[in-house]
Amino acid sequence: MEKVNFRTQILNGHLQNHRHATSTAAIISASPCVSYVPPEVSEQPFSFDVSSMRKLMDGHNLGERDWLFNLMVQSKLFNPRLRGGKVFVVPDYNHSMEQQREITMKRIEYLLDHGVFKGWLTGKGPEAEMKKFALLEVIEIFDHSLAIKIGVHFFLWGGAIQFFGTKRHHDRWLSATENYLIKGCFAMTELGHGSNVRGIETTATYEANTGEFVINTPCETAQKYWIGGAANHATHTIVFSQLNIDGNNQGVHAFITQIRDENGNVCPNIRIADCGHKIGLNGVDNGRIWFDNVRIPRENLLNSVADVSPDGKYLSAIKDPDQRFAAFLAPLTSGRVTIAASAVYSAKVISIAFTLFPIISGELISSYYCSILHRYLILIFSHQISLAIAIRYALTRRAFSITANGPEVLLLDYPSHQRRLLPLLAKTYAMSFASNYLKLLYVKRSPQLIKTIHVVSSAFKATLTWHNMRTLQECREACGGQGLKTENRIGQLKGEYDVQSTFEGDNNVLMQQVSKALLAEYVAAKKRNKPFKELGLEHINRSCPVIPAQLTSSMLRSTQFQNDIFCLRERDLLNRFAAEVSQYQAQGESKESAFVVSYQVAEDLGKAFSDRAILQIAIEAENNVTDASIKNILGLLRSMYVLVTLEEDAAFLRYGYLSTDNAAAVRKEVAKLCSEIRPQALALVSTFGIPDAFLSPIAFDWVAANSWSTVEN
Amino acid sequence: MASNPYSFGETDQVLVEEKSSARIFTLNRPKQLNAVSFQMVSRLLDLFLACEEDPSVKLIILKGKGRAFSAGGDVTAVVRDITQGNWRLGANFFGREFILNYVMATYSKPQVSILNGIVMGGGAGVSIHGSFRVATENSLFAMPETALGLFPDVGASYFLSRLPGFFGEYVGLTGARLDGAEMLACGLATHFVPSNKISLLEDALCKADSNDPAVISATISELSLVPNLKEKSDCHRLNIINKCFSRRTVEEIISALEREAADKEDEWISSTIQSLKKASPTSLKISLRSIREGRLQGIGKCLVREYRMVCTVMRGEISKDFFEGCRAILLDKDKNPKWEPSRLEQVTEDMVDCYFSKINEEGWEDLDLPRRSNIPPCAIAKL
Repeated sequence: MEKVNFRTQILNGHLQNHRHATSTAAIISASPCVSYVPPEVSEQPFSFDVSSMRKLMDGHNLGERDWLFNLMVQSKLFNPRLRGGKVFVVPDYNHSMEQQREITMKRIEYLLDHGVFKGWLTGKGPEAEMKKFALLEVIEIFDHSLAIKIGVHFFLWGGAIQFFGTKRHHDRWLSATENYLIKGCFAMTELGHGSNVRGIETTATYEANTGEFVINTPCETAQKYWIGGAANHATHTIVFSQLNIDGNNQGVHAFITQIRDENGNVCPNIRIADCGHKIGLNGVDNGRIWFDNVRIPRENLLNSVADVSPDGKYLSAIKDPDQRFAAFLAPLTSGRVTIAASAVYSAKVISIAFTLFPIISGELISSYYCSILHRYLILIFSHQISLAIAIRYALTRRAFSITANGPEVLLLDYPSHQRRLLPLLAKTYAMSFASNYLKLLYVKRSPQLIKTIHVVSSAFKATLTWHNMRTLQECREACGGQGLKTENRIGQLKGEYDVQSTFEGDNNVLMQQVSKALLAEYVAAKKRNKPFKELGLEHINRSCPVIPAQLTSSMLRSTQFQNDIFCLRERDLLNRFAAEVSQYQAQGESKESAFVVSYQVAEDLGKAFSDRAILQIAIEAENNVTDASIKNILGLLRSMYVLVTLEEDAAFLRYGYLSTDNAAAVRKEVAKLCSEIRPQALALVSTFGIPDAFLSPIAFDWVAANSWSTVEN
Repeated sequence: MASNPYSFGETDQVLVEEKSSARIFTLNRPKQLNAVSFQMVSRLLDLFLACEEDPSVKLIILKGKGRAFSAGGDVTAVVRDITQGNWRLGANFFGREFILNYVMATYSKPQVSILNGIVMGGGAGVSIHGSFRVATENSLFAMPETALGLFPDVGASYFLSRLPGFFGEYVGLTGARLDGAEMLACGLATHFVPSNKISLLEDALCKADSNDPAVISATISELSLVPNLKEKSDCHRLNIINKCFSRRTVEEIISALEREAADKEDEWISSTIQSLKKASPTSLKISLRSIREGRLQGIGKCLVREYRMVCTVMRGEISKDFFEGCRAILLDKDKNPKWEPSRLEQVTEDMVDCYFSKINEEGWEDLDLPRRSNIPPCAIAKL
């Protein structure tokens, strides 16, 4: 009877609409056949307090975040548009590359004028750092280009000065950078060398008679490439070059070089070209730079570790270039740069650096650098944005009736649609905790933590950015045709964020480094017959967990089982990897080539480490919660995260951690969890704290947003 | 006939006229400048809900009797209730008032408010959320709550935050007065019609016999004009307002203004600083945060938050400024309130947080807004 009534209502609507149109012949009235009902109206009331959950997820500086959202929403520069009765701010990606770059720079000026960057380089202490992160995250929710352009200036250019420079550099550049009196960029990557920085070909030769370094691009593959900010705006750059003194190569060093004058004209002996249009991030002016005998004063060498005396003596307490590099990095992690101007360097710092870098080699220079300075930029929010949009849409859009004459079914009421989106939502929760953890690790960094920071940030960077891209694609498809519209953000975000799997360390290279680091721990522990005590590998000291033959629903949801199975996978893969590498070495392969050919296990191991670390962080976050309703939903999400990982990673079946029976039980449980999380879906995306204006029209009244009356005739 | 919501009576606080498909509601407490009382709010709420159900009603016109549209909520009555007994009586009033604001903001039929006089506080609450706001040369708008130890409520964190740039922060924190031309310029009013044409307007609207917003808008537009802003209008000050009122905290706003004042002698700047310094420090801080949060929220969430805030104000545990403000401005009229805490820096982040949290007292619950389905898009955001 209900269905008959429904049908009658719709028909009635058609007739009335028709009558209305003929009688007034004015604007078509807003009573469409399928009307939009806001999910807030149709969904059950939330079972937990959304603002407490937001506090937990965002973690810090909520007031600053909201302030910055306000600043952006209230300025015409951020392209506000009225759609379906709501204002949305989103960059106009239909602008040309030049226009996008121009408006990005104007937005930076606006933020600067309003004091957003105050203290970003001159502020001290963890509080200033957390505030900076919070603000950058908010900027990123608006536009990745804007965040990257700011990130390059403050964290690559500014960070290099801060950490690799000494007092004379700090005094001259930090405050000028914070106020954008100069614009910095960071010239490390070359056409011929990306992740392998030790192989770069740019040279810096010292001339004692003039007291200058002469910088040169000796060949085409040495041109600096992908340098963010170089194509249009940057006035200064950090150049990474091979330092030559009296014909001796002292390894890679960093130099400050001016590339444009205050009027924006390219300096003499510098050639700059554009990297051109990209699949995304067109608000960032990536450029290429050639140096033709560019002369810079001796003082422009960033000399925290090594210096060159006026008469051309290379001054460093450390002879080996790789070890020197290790020391170079030490101040990065001490939180403060305390080294005096010359190359005098305390033996203590050096020895710490040595012991911390048993696995380091020059090829890792960039990833080490980035892991400290820049990798928090993986704190990506596009998976949150896309999930919020796709889930809100799935709660208002219907498709197909499953009974004759019945109403069409909401997308998110289809179990298959739940299976597509809700596991990704659960992963997003786990990964948000992981990135908060990483931030804290960075803020409280110490020499003792550098290895952990490097390994964890490498693993999380790869895992999170891969998850991000996967989520974007799934959400795009889940929104159907609407996902293709630029105004709905998701499709565009794919292009904007794709670069994240590559910059700050190629994901695959990073994961290999994780495996290598784990192997180094393994070798060290076995050789000295000592227990594991770092990187969360302590579980290997205990006896090997046993997985029950018949897993029940409650076992599957227990942290005990979840922890066990992730630890089991990690320890077993680590054993296998060690065995495989040593087998190749026994056959006469070098250590390096043994790594290279063992890539399959290495890849599985990297994943296993990352998943286990993320799970443990999620469990800890859950344990710290006192509110029962929040604890409850976090438990569901954590179970979903683990079980869907068990389902998706073939390693569990391949190596027999799960029996086929147990794998079937896991699959069944995932479906059950989907239906249990479904009623909370709206609340769960509401906690992301992304204001409506930063979502998109299909997340709200998409009928009104597309109605005839909004068409500009 | 007890169930008939249109029962008439001269002593009613709301007068009701029926003209074809239009209903004209007149706020009828001219001696009190049509201050919004509990009785008036309840009556308006019943009327609005009944008219929404009634298919013969297409349009609602709301106006005030006498020289005011409405000078605001009947705060003296609230304070009297609270001091005599339970703050819950006050909560009851505000809760009902906010629900009325919500119903208006999500109303499915056009509401034309004729703002021919004073529109302040609660008076803004019963008009600005409606689809059409007609200002005249007699209009005088202000949200003066911070001078009273309160904060801009009645959904003001929603509509003030949607004014251009940071004008909303300016209006909400300083209690600045705006005339009809300024209301139109900033979007608080949708039209400006000279007062001598108001009765023509009413007739035209009744004759239009339509619930189509486009038709109503066209009808009003025929009688409306765009007045010139006065030379010293705040609307000419948008640059400096944006520059200063976009700052993160009240302290930073004031120091930004003081820096401007140091650069040049300017009466407007110094009087703006003066009004901020005269206002309750607690009020300033919670008002700023409320407007900032409001900008990122829908009207429903704004009202739920404001209800938490107003209940915290009435409980007086963090600060009793509301009572002191009412004493100094409305009762004793010595215009010399003694705020406590007396300085901005004494109002800590934790204290401010309390106003935005649930109230930990038995029986207290968050404002329960009626579920409104089929909200037309035009009813969601008007500004």
